[in-house]
Amino acid sequence: MLQIDELTHVYANGVKALDNVTLAIPKGMFGLLGPNGAGKSSLMRCIATLQSPSEGQIHFDDIDVVKTPEKLRRILGYLPQDFGVYPRISAYDMLDHMAILKGLSEPKARKAEVERLLEQTNLYGVRKKALAGFSGGMRQRFGIAQALLGDPRLIIVDEPTAGLDPEERNRFLNLLSEIGENVVVILSTHIVEDVTDLCPAMAILAGGKIVRTGAPTALVKELDGKIWIKTVDKADIAELGKTHQVISTRLSGGRTLAHVLSDTDPGDGFTPHHGGLEDVYFSTLRASRLAA
Amino acid sequence: MFVRIIGFELRYQLRNPVFWTGVILFFLLTFGLTTSDQISIGSNSNVHVNSPFAMAQAELAFSLFFMFVSTAFVANVVVRDDETGYGPIIRATRIRKFDYLFGRFLGAFIAVALAFLAVPLATFVGTLMPWVDPDKIGAFRPGDYAYTYLVVALPGLFLTSAGFFALATATRSMMGTYVGLVAILVTYTIVTTIASKPEYMTAMAYLDPMGFGAVDLVTRYWTVAEKNTLLMPIVGPVLWNRALWFTVACGLLAIAYFSFKFETRGRKARKKDALGTQAVAAAPPPTAFVRAVPRFDAAAARAQLVARTRLDMAQVFKSPAFFVLLALGLFNAGGGIWFVDGGYGVDIYPVTRRLIDVLRGAFAFIPVIVAIYYAGELVWRERDRGTEEIIDAAPVPDWVFVAPKILAIALVFVALLVVSIVAAALMQLIKGYSNVELGKYLWWYLTPLTVSLTLFAVLAVFVQALVPHKFLGWGVMVIYIVAQIVAVSYGFEHGLYRYGGGGLIGPIAPLSDMNGQGRAGEAGWWFRAYWAAIALVLAVLTYALWRRGKETRLTPRLRRLPRRLMGPAGALLAFGVVAAAGVGGFIFLNTNVWNVYHTDKDDDRWAADYEKALLHYQSLPQPKITDVTLNVALYPDDPKAVVSGVYTIQNKTNAPIRELHVRFDHYLKVVGLSVEGAWAKQTFEKFNYRIFAFDTPMAPGEKRRLSFQTVLSQKGFTNSRNMTQIVHNGTFLNDTEIAPLLGMDESMLLTDRSKRRKYGLKPAELRMPKLEDDSARQFNLMRKDSDWVNSDITVSTVADQTPMAPGYKTFDVTAGGRRTARFVTDAPINHFFSIQSAHYSIRRAPYKGVDLSVLYHPGHPWNVDRMLAALKVGLDYDQANFSPYQFHQARILEFPAFQGAFAQSFANTIPYSEDIGFIFDSRDASKIDMVTYVTAHELGHQWWAHQVIGARMQGVAMLDETLAQYSALMAMEKLYGRDQIRKFLKYELDTYLKSRGGETIEEEPLERVEDQAYIYYRKGSLVMYRLKEMIGENAVNAALRSLLRQYAFKGAPYPKSTDLVTLFRQAAGPDPIKQQLITDLFEKITLYDLRTTRAVSRKRADGRYDVTLTISAKKHYADGKGKETDAAMNEPVDIGLFAREPGKKGFTAGDVILLKRMMVKSGVATFTFTTDRSPTFAGVDPYNTMIDRNSDENLTKVGG
Repeated sequence: MLQIDELTHVYANGVKALDNVTLAIPKGMFGLLGPNGAGKSSLMRCIATLQSPSEGQIHFDDIDVVKTPEKLRRILGYLPQDFGVYPRISAYDMLDHMAILKGLSEPKARKAEVERLLEQTNLYGVRKKALAGFSGGMRQRFGIAQALLGDPRLIIVDEPTAGLDPEERNRFLNLLSEIGENVVVILSTHIVEDVTDLCPAMAILAGGKIVRTGAPTALVKELDGKIWIKTVDKADIAELGKTHQVISTRLSGGRTLAHVLSDTDPGDGFTPHHGGLEDVYFSTLRASRLAA
Repeated sequence: MFVRIIGFELRYQLRNPVFWTGVILFFLLTFGLTTSDQISIGSNSNVHVNSPFAMAQAELAFSLFFMFVSTAFVANVVVRDDETGYGPIIRATRIRKFDYLFGRFLGAFIAVALAFLAVPLATFVGTLMPWVDPDKIGAFRPGDYAYTYLVVALPGLFLTSAGFFALATATRSMMGTYVGLVAILVTYTIVTTIASKPEYMTAMAYLDPMGFGAVDLVTRYWTVAEKNTLLMPIVGPVLWNRALWFTVACGLLAIAYFSFKFETRGRKARKKDALGTQAVAAAPPPTAFVRAVPRFDAAAARAQLVARTRLDMAQVFKSPAFFVLLALGLFNAGGGIWFVDGGYGVDIYPVTRRLIDVLRGAFAFIPVIVAIYYAGELVWRERDRGTEEIIDAAPVPDWVFVAPKILAIALVFVALLVVSIVAAALMQLIKGYSNVELGKYLWWYLTPLTVSLTLFAVLAVFVQALVPHKFLGWGVMVIYIVAQIVAVSYGFEHGLYRYGGGGLIGPIAPLSDMNGQGRAGEAGWWFRAYWAAIALVLAVLTYALWRRGKETRLTPRLRRLPRRLMGPAGALLAFGVVAAAGVGGFIFLNTNVWNVYHTDKDDDRWAADYEKALLHYQSLPQPKITDVTLNVALYPDDPKAVVSGVYTIQNKTNAPIRELHVRFDHYLKVVGLSVEGAWAKQTFEKFNYRIFAFDTPMAPGEKRRLSFQTVLSQKGFTNSRNMTQIVHNGTFLNDTEIAPLLGMDESMLLTDRSKRRKYGLKPAELRMPKLEDDSARQFNLMRKDSDWVNSDITVSTVADQTPMAPGYKTFDVTAGGRRTARFVTDAPINHFFSIQSAHYSIRRAPYKGVDLSVLYHPGHPWNVDRMLAALKVGLDYDQANFSPYQFHQARILEFPAFQGAFAQSFANTIPYSEDIGFIFDSRDASKIDMVTYVTAHELGHQWWAHQVIGARMQGVAMLDETLAQYSALMAMEKLYGRDQIRKFLKYELDTYLKSRGGETIEEEPLERVEDQAYIYYRKGSLVMYRLKEMIGENAVNAALRSLLRQYAFKGAPYPKSTDLVTLFRQAAGPDPIKQQLITDLFEKITLYDLRTTRAVSRKRADGRYDVTLTISAKKHYADGKGKETDAAMNEPVDIGLFAREPGKKGFTAGDVILLKRMMVKSGVATFTFTTDRSPTFAGVDPYNTMIDRNSDENLTKVGG
């Protein structure tokens, strides 16, 4: 169980990336949703011991992450949002190297573990190829393979499905969900469906603050009967915003579909809509923007 | 369009870090060159650093090394679009291939040209620096800068830019281009080194693409005045060279144009596709496995350390730059190893010691660059590659990141140094020298350098851990290196604050096969230990400040520093500090308490003060020494010499002497000193100078005694000047280092002009007394305070060494672990003694009543017999033609190389450095036999210094060195024949003409020669040989016999050079031509310009041949600054016709068809001869006996 208390992080240039974040993350998959620049990666890095927060506490079980980062690293699996590779080194060699760094010092067992993960991430066939020549998806799979080395109890994956094709995305999410049953997995993403599909718990981060937490199903339920949609002309959207709480607009078949939030039927051609997590997300973001 | 592309490219290049790195690097290099006294290219204390000549030399040298920068620019033009993947977009536009390619090339070349402006700019800025000696700087003439830059530097830059641009279009790879660059540079250097002989000079003037050859040809005999003012004329070879290579450069650009494929290459993309499909066809997974459990114990840490070290090493070993550097180092050292020689073009046996010297100088800078470059690459790699988040989140302690960086670089050093050792050992074997001393490679080279370089690597890694960017770290290290070099000239010499304890590659011990690394070797290890402790502190700090994760700023890292130092890290740090304090304290005890710490600067200041305080006593009449008794107890292992001695002094003046001035060497400890009937009136402690007053003045002719006790010693070790006179094996002391001098003279004073100026000493130069100053005839060259003396020298040393001093050995007993020998003379000798002691092998050869012997290091037996043979030839010639040898012993003794590469003649005793005769390889008969030559020269001094010695005034060296050259030349002629003397004279001629240009004060005619080795040795040989040729050997020798008759073993007044010239005039007879010749040879600086412009051979009806030569002749007189005036020439000159070219391999006396002395006048003349054979070569002064600046044009091929 990961407990984050009053976490604040200010960068050297004065940007407040995290603002008094308090969050409890239970065992299982946990979705962290937020738009670009919301502070997701900052939060992930703080948890992954890659930066010390300006203020606040992070505890994982009995480990004080800020004070003893070396203890957390022993049980951590981390897939950063973006990572590079060494030149002139094969997938196998690199994973083997990572395995040694993760404390798998016994050669035989390490070999087995490395091969198992390569197979699990479907990289076994290209294990001798240079990592630098890998496609985005292959590289991402390598990223998850190294994150899973050494049976981590806390796994942090930052925007893992960006750039993956649908098939790879499915395979990746399946892999995560298998592991996610026994350990804490934090999935940071701006893709709502990832969370919908996988996570029993989630939080929404915006402007460095946690603006919503809960189980996705419960959050969706709160919106029952409050989401209304209407197809409008692109030119009318601005006008609509003045009279209604428009939470999202989306192109559909060449026309624009507007979602509005309203406790009562706004009339004017709106039809009720059974909202999804996306509506939760957008309405939350809208509310936090208005508050700010 | 074209212009805009140029503009775009230029702006792109100017933003490129390579541009600014190049600018800064070359600015610093040139700035260092301009402002430092230690380094110079082209300039010396008279040729200004901003003279056209010095700037041309510097810009040529820099333009060669600038290739590495300019290639980065122009190759980037070609490979950039492929690397960034931007190529298809660009090439899809309407841009034409010509505009694309040449627009960019021109843009890049302009960037090259702009970057190289750093060199003249730095020269200019350097000349403004206040600490640079103003006499090294000429007037600021912008035209000189512009001309040199445009004419000398730019054409070479254009050629290399075009060439490597073409190479880059062919290879389409940066690495390929650089590999090609190194290959070309290696070839270039090998070719130019091989072709550096005078006979290829003209060819190289045309063919050398960089222009070195052309500049050398034009400027080789330029005098100082010419170097300072003349711009290199663009005519003849220079013009042709520039035109030829400009055409070649354009041709290369054309090749680049046609070989450049405009369409995109798709290789990389295809490769990716193939990978993608393979991924689907994955191999079946392994079935059974044991789940690995992470462990965090010592074994895991060890495994992590090994894995990281391997990764770090692989990065170095797999990178192209590493091979470029290795190749550069090997090629640089390879030339030195292959062409290692002993001067005069003489081969040497490639002893390991010499090769280590070469490697330390020419290869060891490569690891320094590796340390700087890869410290940056390795420390910043995770950030550069974007792997830092993955790697830093792994459960790895920080020290596992830090230690492997240092460890990997250290192992790379070992690999580099081992490669250089293998290369050197291979060279030894290839040259047929099998005594590859691996132990010496290991202990004199590999081990000390690996440790010192690793200490340097720690510093480089530490710096990289501090700075916010890799480039900044590199810059800091470059500045550090410059500072290290500059610091010395400001008197910052102590190894306790100079990181590493000495230079960049650590303390360098002078090497000797006789004495090993000596005390400096030991001292080096103390300094290494001290700096290792400090490096440990730096390593711990690097660990504690290590960037992990996203926090790269320094302040937060400094803030958490104290916390990070809790525990083992802090303990290690404390250990380092304590160890550094302990070892440092011990070093300080050695260098500053037990011994006197003094820098070059301190010594200079001392010498200046010495002169100011005491030189005014110079003309005070003093008694002279008549008898010397010395007792020297040597303790080679301490090192220590305990000395006691007695001088008998006599007032040889006509007036009473009231005071006696007694002085000792600067650092000599005087334990006791007493003068009969005198009391110590004044003591200058600082100068080791004492004035005694006689109770009753010394009457003319009166004798008294002076006795003294001194100790010359060193306790432990010193900072940098460990004692080299007394060493474990190979002690070589001069008596002035242990015994007093009487009265003040000009020895021990500053002679360097700029230093004298700096310390306000007047006059600007210490010159010898003028030839007209007959008062100087009271004193001989050796010392002012003695004429000929009786000597009685006792030397004791450890039991297993042989003690030696001039004189006959009358006593030699080993008792109580000490061997004592006494050397006494039976007639007075020069007051000039050597004290030696070493383990020697001895070879003796009694010869016509003289006991000849060579005492040598057992490992150097090669030339002992040759030396003995040379002594015999020399004895025969000198005894037959001059006078009997005054001793019945002659001995040669080897001494360690670090005391100098020379031989020196003391009475019946010749110390001879291990660095010359003993390791020369004289087996190739076509080369000059330097062993015989040097030996015969030193033996000659037994007459020319030890029988007759000149007065210390202008021209004195003509009476010893020039005549010793003559003795050696004649011995060589007897041994090898007259026709073989040519190659030796040619060498002397070239050296004389080249050295003239480096003269810093003024050139004197031979009879006024001062401390000018190029005149009394080089010109001396030429003058004496020509004199012999023209007035005859008998006449010359008769004059020399007269000199000996008049002056041998006589005291003041001593002879001067004009006395000998007068004797030559008498011997030559009244012939005005011969008298004029003697004037030209001895009293003037005479230069000839002889050419054979045409030689035609026609067969006559009677079967014989008519050979017609057209000869042009000129004669000039030069003044001391090199300014020439025409002189009328009318003198006999040899004209020769040959079947083979003289001086070339295979030339023998049988090839001489005709050699006739003809009168030659100024101007053009034709000569016709009738011969039986048709010659192939013909010419004037074929054996180069005359001083001619175009000696290669004396001969020409004969046409039909």
